[in-house]
Amino acid sequence: MLSQTHRIVLALLFGATEPLTKSQVDICLEEDIDLTQIIADLNQYLETEGLPVWIQLVAGGYRLMTRAEYEPWLSRLFQNKGKLRLSRSALETLAIIAYKQPVTKSEIDAIRGVDTSLRPLVEKNLIKITGRQEGPGRPLLYGTTNHFLEYFGLASLQDLPQVKELAEIAGEDNLQSDIVEQDATE
Amino acid sequence: MSYNVKLNVYEGPLDLLLFFIKRDEINIYDIPIAYITDEYLNYLQLMQSLNLQLAGEFILMASILIRIKVQMLLPRPETEKLEDIEDPRTELVQMLVEYQKYKEIGEQLKRLEANQSRHFPVTLTSDQRNYDPELFLGDITLIDLGLAFQQILEKLPKVEPVNLEIMKVNIRQQILFIRECLKKRSRIRFSEIAAKLTDRLEVVVTFLAILEMIKSMEINVSQKDIFGEIWITKKKTIQDNVISNA
Repeated sequence: MLSQTHRIVLALLFGATEPLTKSQVDICLEEDIDLTQIIADLNQYLETEGLPVWIQLVAGGYRLMTRAEYEPWLSRLFQNKGKLRLSRSALETLAIIAYKQPVTKSEIDAIRGVDTSLRPLVEKNLIKITGRQEGPGRPLLYGTTNHFLEYFGLASLQDLPQVKELAEIAGEDNLQSDIVEQDATE
Repeated sequence: MSYNVKLNVYEGPLDLLLFFIKRDEINIYDIPIAYITDEYLNYLQLMQSLNLQLAGEFILMASILIRIKVQMLLPRPETEKLEDIEDPRTELVQMLVEYQKYKEIGEQLKRLEANQSRHFPVTLTSDQRNYDPELFLGDITLIDLGLAFQQILEKLPKVEPVNLEIMKVNIRQQILFIRECLKKRSRIRFSEIAAKLTDRLEVVVTFLAILEMIKSMEINVSQKDIFGEIWITKKKTIQDNVISNA
């Protein structure tokens, strides 16, 4: 059975328009709660009851999402969603920005060996200008947005896919905690 | 000789080179530069024969490959120790390895994208409600702050610009003005003239005009006591006659 706190958190998740963070929940409840545990309980409840939604840890907060198996119907409800995909060059560019941010366009171009157009990614709110680099020409610096994390279903930037070399640098502790957290939310 | 090539879309010259490396199972750290250069140039020729426009980057890479090939062929000076000689391919290899890394991550992002696109957030539209601002101090950069500041500035009531019209009046103009005043009466108080003036600068310029007129002996100025009234008296001069005749 769900406690009153569980039900309040679930209500907040229903109402929230963006991923709900722990501090937001704490302010609304006026107390410090073990949100990770409550989310885990709620996810178990939603699963046992066979409800079509689950709570995902994404972009530093929790978000109520429909389950993947209902995608065929929902994609009919929403135009294009689920059909439009980013191009390979856009994905490559995002990969570079995600790992090297803050990064300038010329640094991106140097890695890709081609002239990169960043405007579409800014327009899609996947990247943003984070400032200017000191030095000649003071070029613009780019970084990923919160929406980037939401779009790829990442809890945080630490959750980015690891390639072998990068995984070694990141260390195993980091990976371990991510796995635990993912278990808790699924 | 006929080619049977399946044309893929390559993101750039590095992508194309990686394709050759993968296809022919080449060790990226020991690239047979002559072979890969030939393959690369063949591909460019094919592109040209199909009238496909080649981006400048492809041509640039061709020149890099040829330069490396030449450097590999050149005899090395005997005096140099073996470990001192840098492999001309090193820079290219580094670029390829770096690019390959992000290409792989891009592919992983593609999988994440496909996965996440099957889930839909349960949410009402955001324009119906406003969050308590205390709950939202998240994803903000200096740029956002700047934009917010600009919006506030735009909302503020427009401040009337202060007019800094330098020298609205000049001495010549004020001389004519004083002459005008002296047309009807031969004697006039400075305070009477000053009363018709609107700002401090005008008063100063008018005073200078009076000094100028004294100098040219057009007028006389008298004052009974200090801080007393200044009387301006018209003198009968040639200049005056000239102007009144004109």
